Amino acid sequence: MKCKLNLTSKGAHMFDAHAVALGPQGMLVINITMLSLIGWALWRAEQKLSSGSDLIILVLLGAFAVSGRILLDPIPNVQPVTVIVLLAGIHFGASRAIALAAAVALCSNMLLGHGLWSLYQAVGWSVVGIAGAALSNRLYVNGRILIPTLAGLAAVSAFAFDWIVSLSALHSLSNEVFLVYLMTGIPYDLLHAAGNVVFVAWLANPLSEVMTRHIAPPTPTAVRDPVSSRV
Amino acid sequence: MSDSLKPISLGILVLLLVSFPKISTEWARMTAELVDEEDDPHFGLPDIWDGQQVVCIHFPEAEAPEDFDQGRIHIDYDGTEFMSDVEWNETGACIGGFSDHDNGWSLLNAAINSTGDTFLLNITQYSFGLMVDSIAGVDPSQMSGNFSGAYWSLYHNGALSMIGITELELDSDSVITWRVDTW
Repeated sequence: MKCKLNLTSKGAHMFDAHAVALGPQGMLVINITMLSLIGWALWRAEQKLSSGSDLIILVLLGAFAVSGRILLDPIPNVQPVTVIVLLAGIHFGASRAIALAAAVALCSNMLLGHGLWSLYQAVGWSVVGIAGAALSNRLYVNGRILIPTLAGLAAVSAFAFDWIVSLSALHSLSNEVFLVYLMTGIPYDLLHAAGNVVFVAWLANPLSEVMTRHIAPPTPTAVRDPVSSRV
Repeated sequence: MSDSLKPISLGILVLLLVSFPKISTEWARMTAELVDEEDDPHFGLPDIWDGQQVVCIHFPEAEAPEDFDQGRIHIDYDGTEFMSDVEWNETGACIGGFSDHDNGWSLLNAAINSTGDTFLLNITQYSFGLMVDSIAGVDPSQMSGNFSGAYWSLYHNGALSMIGITELELDSDSVITWRVDTW
C-alpha cells in the first residue's frame, strides 16, 4: 500500500524528530552513542597532533570529560571526569590536572547547574589530580599503568571527591546532620567508585597511551658557565 | 588481571545500577532514623520533594482501594508513580512536587487532577465550609466496625488543622494529609 504524505501542510512538523517520545533508556543509548562518537573523533584528531603538545591534548581530554559528564548525567554519579583528572595528574603533573579539573567543573556546570558547589567540585577533582601526580611513580611503572593499583585509587578518589563536594552542605546543615548526610550518600559514592573502576578498566590504557605520546619534553636549560662547570 | 577487570567491573556496575533505587531508599530510611525528624512534615517522603508541597491521603488499611492497600505509593505532580514504600506505617498515597500553591484547596485540586480519576473527591458545601465526604470512593460514614462517627480529617504539616481546606494558607513546603478520624 502506498502512502502519500503532504509535507507542505501545517501538520508536517508532526513527522519530525521532535514528535518522537523517547524513554530514559532510549535517551541513555543516544547519549552513550554520542559519547562514543566524540571519543572516537577526538582519538582520530589526537593521532594527527605532533608530539609534545600536551596543552592541546589537555583540551581534547577536557572536551571528552565535559561531554562524558553531561551525556552520562542520567546515570547517578557515574562519569569519566575523576579518572581523566587522575590520569592527567599522573602524566602531566599537578598544575595541569588542577587546570583541567577546574575547567571541566565550570564548563559542565554551565549546562548542569552552576553554583557554590562548582567550587567544591573543582577543589575535589583538583585533589584527585594532585593525588595522581603525587603517586605517579607508583602508578606508572616501566612505561605501563598499573591497572589494579589505579583502580583502587580511583575507587578511593570517588569517596574523597564526593565527601569534599559534600562539605558544601555545611553552609546549610549542622555538624550532626552533616554526618548523616554523608552516610546517606554512601550508595551514590559506591556508584561513583564502581563507575571509576569501569572507566579505569576500559579507558586507562588507551588514554594513558595518548597522554604519554604528548608529554612535553623537559625544557633544556642553558649552563651559564660551561667551562667552569667541567670537572 | 586488567582483562578480567573489564567484564567484572561492568557487571558489578550494572548490578548496582539495577538495585540502586531499592538500596538508596532503604539506606536513606536507615540513616534518616539517626536524625530526630519527628517535627519535619517531610519525614518519610522522597528527598526530591524537599521544599515542595505534598498531599497525602491515608486510608484505613481494611478500607483502602485495591491499588493502595500496600504501604504508601508516591506519585509525582505529573501523575507518575515512582516509589512505593511498603514499610510505611500508613496505607495510601502521597502526591507531591507542587509549588506556588497559597491555598489548601488549590493544592488539593492540583493533586487530585494530576492523578486523573484515581482520587475522586465527593464534597458537600455547608454554610460553615466545605466537607470532604469521600476520597477515591472511601466514605468514612459508610464504614463498619470501629468507625462510628468517622470522617475525613485534615492535617497541615503533621498537626490537625483547625481551619478548613478552603481557608488553609500554605507554606512553600506544606504537607497536607487526609486521614480517617473518629469523633
